[in-house]
Amino acid sequence: MSEDLLRIDNLHVSFSTRRGLVEAVRGVTLTVQAGEMLGLVGESGSGKSVTGFATTRLLDAAGRVTGGKILFRGQDVTKLGGDDLRHLQGAAMSMIFQNPRAALNPIRAIGLQIADAILTHKRISKDAARAEALELLRAVQIRDPETRMNAYPHELSGGMCQRVMIAIAISCNPALLIADEPTTGLDVTTQKVVMDLLADIAAARGMATILITHDLGLAARYCRRIAVMERGRIVEEASPKTLFSAPQHAYTRRLVAASPTATSRIEDLVTEEERERTAAVVGKPRPAPAHGTPPLLEVRKLAKRFDEGSAAVADFSMTIAGGESVGLVGESGSGKSTTSRMICRLIDPSEGDIVFDGQSIGHVAARDFHRSRFRKDIQMVFQDPNESLNPRYTAFDCIAHPLMRLDGMRGGDGLRKRVEECAERVGLPLDLLPRFPHQLSGGQKARVGIARAIACRPRLLVLDEPTAALDVSVQAVVLQLLDRLRRENDIALLFVSHDLNVVRMLCDRTIVLRNGGIVEQGESRALFDNPKTDYTRKLVEAIPHIETGPALAAAL
Amino acid sequence: MLSYILRRIVSTLPVMAIVALFVFSLLYIAPGDPAVVIAGDQASPEDVERIRQSLGLDRPFLIQFGSWVWRILHGDLGTSIFTNLPVSTMIGQRLGPTLSLMMVTLFLTIVIAVPLGVVAAWKAGSFIDRAIMAFAVFGFSLPVFVVGYVLAYIFALELEWLPVQGYTPLTEGVWPWLQNLILPAVALGCVYIALIARITRATMLEVLQQDYIRTARAKGLGQGGILFVHALKNAAVPIVTVIGIGIALLIGGAVVTESVFAIPGLGRLTIDAILRRDYPVIQGIVLLFSFVYVLVNLMIDVVYTIVDPRIRY
Repeated sequence: MSEDLLRIDNLHVSFSTRRGLVEAVRGVTLTVQAGEMLGLVGESGSGKSVTGFATTRLLDAAGRVTGGKILFRGQDVTKLGGDDLRHLQGAAMSMIFQNPRAALNPIRAIGLQIADAILTHKRISKDAARAEALELLRAVQIRDPETRMNAYPHELSGGMCQRVMIAIAISCNPALLIADEPTTGLDVTTQKVVMDLLADIAAARGMATILITHDLGLAARYCRRIAVMERGRIVEEASPKTLFSAPQHAYTRRLVAASPTATSRIEDLVTEEERERTAAVVGKPRPAPAHGTPPLLEVRKLAKRFDEGSAAVADFSMTIAGGESVGLVGESGSGKSTTSRMICRLIDPSEGDIVFDGQSIGHVAARDFHRSRFRKDIQMVFQDPNESLNPRYTAFDCIAHPLMRLDGMRGGDGLRKRVEECAERVGLPLDLLPRFPHQLSGGQKARVGIARAIACRPRLLVLDEPTAALDVSVQAVVLQLLDRLRRENDIALLFVSHDLNVVRMLCDRTIVLRNGGIVEQGESRALFDNPKTDYTRKLVEAIPHIETGPALAAAL
Repeated sequence: MLSYILRRIVSTLPVMAIVALFVFSLLYIAPGDPAVVIAGDQASPEDVERIRQSLGLDRPFLIQFGSWVWRILHGDLGTSIFTNLPVSTMIGQRLGPTLSLMMVTLFLTIVIAVPLGVVAAWKAGSFIDRAIMAFAVFGFSLPVFVVGYVLAYIFALELEWLPVQGYTPLTEGVWPWLQNLILPAVALGCVYIALIARITRATMLEVLQQDYIRTARAKGLGQGGILFVHALKNAAVPIVTVIGIGIALLIGGAVVTESVFAIPGLGRLTIDAILRRDYPVIQGIVLLFSFVYVLVNLMIDVVYTIVDPRIRY
């Protein structure tokens, strides 16, 4: 056992909150060998990040290790202080974080930020540190490193910022790197590039890595051993292959089922034990629309230019039939959100027209559209349910508001009934209605957002990454809900997402956007199984697959 | 950068023009005939007529304004009605003490308040933090003249460490000059020390929550490096803003402080000029203060761009 680089022994971490002590980590035991990449997988609140922060001694002031040991090269990290701790941090052990842009000092040139790390641990001149920083920028494959040395984080893309973070983390050749959700929030293609880079660097330098992630597929692609955490405990530890082919613990089974793959169907997303409860949902296939029916929505040659810059969206045309679901995918900056906002009439298009139910609505100014009779027919579900609900409105208020504004309902029993009916349709327990957003979980907030959107019985629902901020198990439930609403109420869906697996399951047709233009479109399954353009192929290939296919076999 | 500063200077011109118009209109805003107002209560009609002629008050308003501006641009602020001295000379004589007081106050304020705020944020919730914030509330609540008299009583009358009142020019040595300014500067600075310490603490608390501070800790940086290199500079924009507003408020405070400590500065001149209805002097002082204020704002804008590269120029 003495050769373990890191051995965490029965670790307990508590946070003091207003409601007393909360135990975030309760008895985690794991080991990491030198040079190994270990996946630590779990959903939000599972304690995986807290374990990482405890190991690097970066817990908030409120967090405290209340039990157990963290032995790094035989030395108990939890008992270190002063200079010993500083020699450990950044030099022997380093960490990279989620949201790289926020993790870099916004007003310090990136070259200086890398040099900071070097100068803290090595007694060399500033010029020598600068030269080393430049080398590191080269090592993380940043183009034109001489110029980038003087760049500030806001001048770099998210992927580039994460590379800079990696450069900082490896600057003193640490023996252990802890990567906390390093690619969450990055595009799939960027994710692949950054993760490949990280894996290569770790292998080349013999650096052990703990990859903390909520994405089982990502962990499976890069790690040979995965530990699954749930509510502060490690529930299962195995190779990816065993984990996916024969998960032992009930939670792992649920997690594996909820992670969408290239072949999964909406109804597969929950485990068999749970499926019975929702079985009634799956049913009648949607009848094909009669020939000659005009589409519900027709978009013609839509374009949007923001002041000065080039077009964010150009020459975008599409149709959606009633009850149809269409996916809009692309990397960040591809114009998918701009397009969806124009269709929702939240922003004005620069050119082109939007025809809804045979009537042109593209020329109604966005700020006047709330008076249009189509406002209640086109509703939107926003990306982050935490941010898009008014913190001072109860769940009831959120759902009731559009009913009062758009359906002209007054308070009283009628309104209460409609709100309760909406809540029931989205599976939101009625006793949660008087609660404020901060008293609801992420999944519950997502339901409130959807209930609000469907309150006025819209015919088109535009969803902008509605599940991006949710855990996979919650995402599974929300996706099932959306699919059910579409079938039951014949609501057309325009689903904007970067998650191709989700789009493939939920959408009949998919449109691939790049740099504001349509690259490819067609029936979802055909499009993903046989991409016609290189760009789509790249997108599809970048998705971490979790099935035990040839890719995994090659890695093992 | 240079073009940004130039553009900012150009954009202050309309502000200065409006200020000038307002200052010039002071005479006309005051009720009654300006000539009568200037001449005072005991003047004969002949006196009034003479004043009207000499000041050109019989000409149209815009022409008067134009020639007034023209003279100011050539450095001529007019002549005091009371002393018959050029206004620019009178202001020049009084500028030294006031500038000295403001600079010493500003220096003391920044040197004391910013570290206090940083320490309070760093030790948030501790005894030190609470002590600093209690002091800040105390500093807020006391008027300048109370602090001034109390300080003068303790340090000048009882301990006899510092002089009670007066002013010695810098030309007679640094220590004599500073000796006379310490008490007034502390008295005047009290409110600003409290204000800036509080703003520094609040901004620092917010910055210390940011992800990049965690990154700095992960790099193994020491507490000092984190607080002063990474955090304070990020907190600088709001702090600089408040310091700028403080300079503007300092002008008002200087008037009171100079009276308490018998410093022959612009504050005293202002009070005297107002009491004597010496309009040219009042106009000159208001114009000068406005100019200083615009200049300070300009400097703050420039400091912003130096501190924060995200602010584009």
